[in-house]
Amino acid sequence: MKRGWLLALICANLAALLALVFIYPHLMVSPGAVVSGHAEIATDCFACHAPLRGASAQRCVNCHVVADIGLRTTKGAPLAQRKLKTSFHQELIERDCMACHSDHEGPKLTQRSRKPFSHGLLRPAVQDRCDSCHVKPADKLHQNLAAGCAQCHKTQAWKPATFEHEKHFVLDRDHNVKCVTCHVNEDYRRYTCYGCHEHTLQNVRAEHEKEGIANYDNCVECHRSADEEPGKRGGREGGESKSRERKKKH
Amino acid sequence: MQAKLLRREVLPFMLAFAALALLALLLDALLHVFNVVWIGRYLGIPGTLLILLSFVYSLRKRRLVDFGQPAVLLRWHQRMAWFGSLLVLVHAGIHFNAILGWLAVWAMLVDVGSGLTGKYLLDRSRRRLEQARQRMRQQGLSAEELEERLYVDSLTFDVMKQWRAVHLPVTLVFAVLALAHIVAIFLFWGWK
Repeated sequence: MKRGWLLALICANLAALLALVFIYPHLMVSPGAVVSGHAEIATDCFACHAPLRGASAQRCVNCHVVADIGLRTTKGAPLAQRKLKTSFHQELIERDCMACHSDHEGPKLTQRSRKPFSHGLLRPAVQDRCDSCHVKPADKLHQNLAAGCAQCHKTQAWKPATFEHEKHFVLDRDHNVKCVTCHVNEDYRRYTCYGCHEHTLQNVRAEHEKEGIANYDNCVECHRSADEEPGKRGGREGGESKSRERKKKH
Repeated sequence: MQAKLLRREVLPFMLAFAALALLALLLDALLHVFNVVWIGRYLGIPGTLLILLSFVYSLRKRRLVDFGQPAVLLRWHQRMAWFGSLLVLVHAGIHFNAILGWLAVWAMLVDVGSGLTGKYLLDRSRRRLEQARQRMRQQGLSAEELEERLYVDSLTFDVMKQWRAVHLPVTLVFAVLALAHIVAIFLFWGWK
C-alpha cells in the first residue's frame, strides 16, 4: 500500500515536471536564452523551429524579408543608417540562415553563439568586391596600396595577413628589422637599402663599379636575399655568398 | 572489522562512483583540448543505447525474455549501465542550459548511485550466506537442519527487496525525464 502511494507521488511529480516543459519551454528545453530582438517569441519555439526538422530558414524570412535585411526593420520602417555589413544578405547564393546565425546563446564555456560568416555564401562576383562591405583601413600601409585585398588577406580572417615578403626579398637573420628601416615613413611603395649602417651609397657604388655595373638603384632586382648570388635563385648553388665572403674577411 | 568493512564494501562503491565522475571530466577535458566538443553532443546516443541494452537483464529477471544466464546478464547490466552513464555524463557536460536535460542527468546519477548500492548489497548478502553455510557445515548439522537455518539467513535478501523498491522508482524517474529530453531534441533539433 505504502509502495503504491510512493509510486503515485512520483508519477504526480513527473506529470508536474512535464507540464512545466509546456508552460516554460524557454527554461526547460531551450539550450540558452534567445537574442534580445526575439524576446517576444522566446516561449514560442515553433516560431523558428519546424517540428522534427529543426530551425527553419523559411520561418526566419517570414519575418525577415531578405530584400529588407540591413535596410528596413521587420516592420518595414527604413533603418536610419544603411548597415554596410548586413545589407549583403541580398547577395547570398542560398538561403541558409543557420549557417551564420544561432539564435540561442550557446553554453558559455564551449561555443560562441554566433558562427563565423563564410564568404563562400556570397555570389562569386560579390566575393571579389571586398569594398562593397569592408572599408579600407585608414593607416598609411593600406591607403597607399592599389592591389586587391586578396594579395595579402584571406577570407577566413583578416589577420594574420598572408603577404609573402620572401617573394620580393628574404627577411633573414641579418634583415630582421622594423619595416620603417627600409620603408621610410611607412611608404610601402618605396624602399631603401641604405637605412642601415651595413649599406652606404659609397660602398655599394664602389663594389658595383668594380664589377662594371652602372645601374644599381633597384637592389632587389638582382639581390632577392642577402644569401644569394645576384641574378641566381637559390644562391647557395652559385658558390659562396657575399655575406659569407664578408664574414670570412673579418 | 571497521577497516575490513571500509575496504570491502564502502571503498569499491566510492571508487566506482568517483571513477565515473573523474573519467567524465577527463573525457570532457580531452574534447576541449582537441577542440572536438561537438562529439560530446552525440555521445548521448550511444550512451542511451547502452543503458537501454542493459535492461535485457531486467527483462530476463522478470522472464519477459528467456535467453542468457541471469548472473551473466547482471554483470553486463552493471557494466553497460555504468559505461552508458559515463557517455551520457560527457554529453551532458556539453549542454549547460536546459533544465529538463539537467534533471535527467541528476536522475541518472541517483540511479547509478542506487545501482552501485544494489551491487554491493547483493555481494554482501552472497558473502554472508556463504559464510553461514560453511559455519553450519563445520558444526556438523544435517542437511535438513542446514536448510532450515539457512532460510532464516536468506532473509538477508529482504534487504535486496527493499533496495529494489527504491531502485525501480528512481529508474522510472530517470527514464521519463530522459525520454522527455529525447523527444524534445527530436522535436526541435535539425539533424543535418
